[in-house]
Amino acid sequence: MFRDSTRSRLFLAVLVAAAVALLVLDARPGGDPVTSTARAGGELVFAPTAAGVGWAVAPAAALVDGLRQSPETAERVAELEQANAALESQLQAARIDERRAEQLDELLGLAGLGGYEIVPAQAVTRVTARGYADTVTIDVGTESGVRPDMTVVNGSGLVGRVTDAGPRTATVTLATDVGSAVGARLEATRKIGAVTGGSVPGGPDAELTLELFDLEAPVEPGDRVVTLGSHEGAPFVPGVPIGTVDEVVATPGSLSRLARLTPAVDFASLDVVGVVVRGPAQDPRDSVLPPRPEKGDQS
Amino acid sequence: MRTLATLALVCVAVVAQAAVVNRLPLGWGAGPDLVVAVVVAVALTASPGAAAGCGFAAGLAMDVLPPAEHALGRYALVLCVAAYTLALLHRNTGAAGPLGGRPSAWAVAGATAVTAAGVGLGYAAVGLLMGDARVTLAAVAVNVLVGTALTALVSPVATLPLLRLRGALSDGEYATVHGPVPGGW
Repeated sequence: MFRDSTRSRLFLAVLVAAAVALLVLDARPGGDPVTSTARAGGELVFAPTAAGVGWAVAPAAALVDGLRQSPETAERVAELEQANAALESQLQAARIDERRAEQLDELLGLAGLGGYEIVPAQAVTRVTARGYADTVTIDVGTESGVRPDMTVVNGSGLVGRVTDAGPRTATVTLATDVGSAVGARLEATRKIGAVTGGSVPGGPDAELTLELFDLEAPVEPGDRVVTLGSHEGAPFVPGVPIGTVDEVVATPGSLSRLARLTPAVDFASLDVVGVVVRGPAQDPRDSVLPPRPEKGDQS
Repeated sequence: MRTLATLALVCVAVVAQAAVVNRLPLGWGAGPDLVVAVVVAVALTASPGAAAGCGFAAGLAMDVLPPAEHALGRYALVLCVAAYTLALLHRNTGAAGPLGGRPSAWAVAGATAVTAAGVGLGYAAVGLLMGDARVTLAAVAVNVLVGTALTALVSPVATLPLLRLRGALSDGEYATVHGPVPGGW
């Protein structure tokens, strides 16, 4: 029934072997020259095409807007929205900086930290071909100073982190991805925990789940959660809003408390985002902080 | 001529998938897969070896294009095997296929749906083997079902035209031959 020539079978075997070899090469931690060259090549095609598509669909998007409002209003609204997003990103940067400075003021009496530098970007893709990973492609890359393991924020809060960066595009893993885990801190009580994308076993069905390491910590719906920050600010800088506690789940016998979070960012309408390309010029935390056992380097 | 036209259309499908389809703000995760739809058309009209090559190339292109959320080669492996299997089955079961009479849109949509489901499951299986934490039963069920349905829906506009084009451009003497066709695509 399955007749085929030997040559054809051999060809299939060679292709399968090549694919498996690529898989093994790329799945290994750390960069690989072969796969990164290939990805850079793919991006050469992708970046101009995506820009072209963006340019081409702009009239269509404007048309949809225009159906509701007059064209001038739509233009003006778009302009103002962009300005607003840019200003909010700047404000976000100022807030991160301020928060950081506050903390260090309290702890060290140290002031005047360097500011965070944010590169604005636009989310180019929203879904992946097979739909498993929650990732977006943004239109900035290493040419703009974006590197893997940088925090991505927008005007409302934490979007995710850069997992792969090419010359002109970068892949951002959203905070809602199942593989994402962010060190988090409750705003009021300063209790720490981890925010994972999706649901965790035993937890509620959610976009984001907060796992608090302190069982006694008072946590109520409405409490806000910010990032804890990682060593050297990579992959997450501290103080970025992640979300609001929606529902707390009491799990008897569990070692941690679980809570469902409402994300601060509307992931369904991601557009203008900012990549935090530079943290403070100097991070004195390691050298001056006494070691605190419960405050590991969460990422 | 036929090869050139096919190559061009496969390239267009790959780029359109990466730059247009993946851009649509679809709320349910997976979107239609133009690449699968086009590879099905090639697999239904080419020898298994050529189909495998086409599937591998198209899959690798999708792996290489952003976003880089999965390992390089994952999609290439799945599409290569899927295209080969489809071409082999089509050749050897002697189904009244596109090379003979004109295929109905329903038959093509059915073939596309089966292939899309197979590709979805194969992709999930590779993820499972590689320890991808995102591959859970619920996610696989949703993605495969939604992806298959959407891909079958786009097959009349993606698979059928390429199939007809390849049929129209094929050499007359091989048009009704079942079994390995001499020469390439």
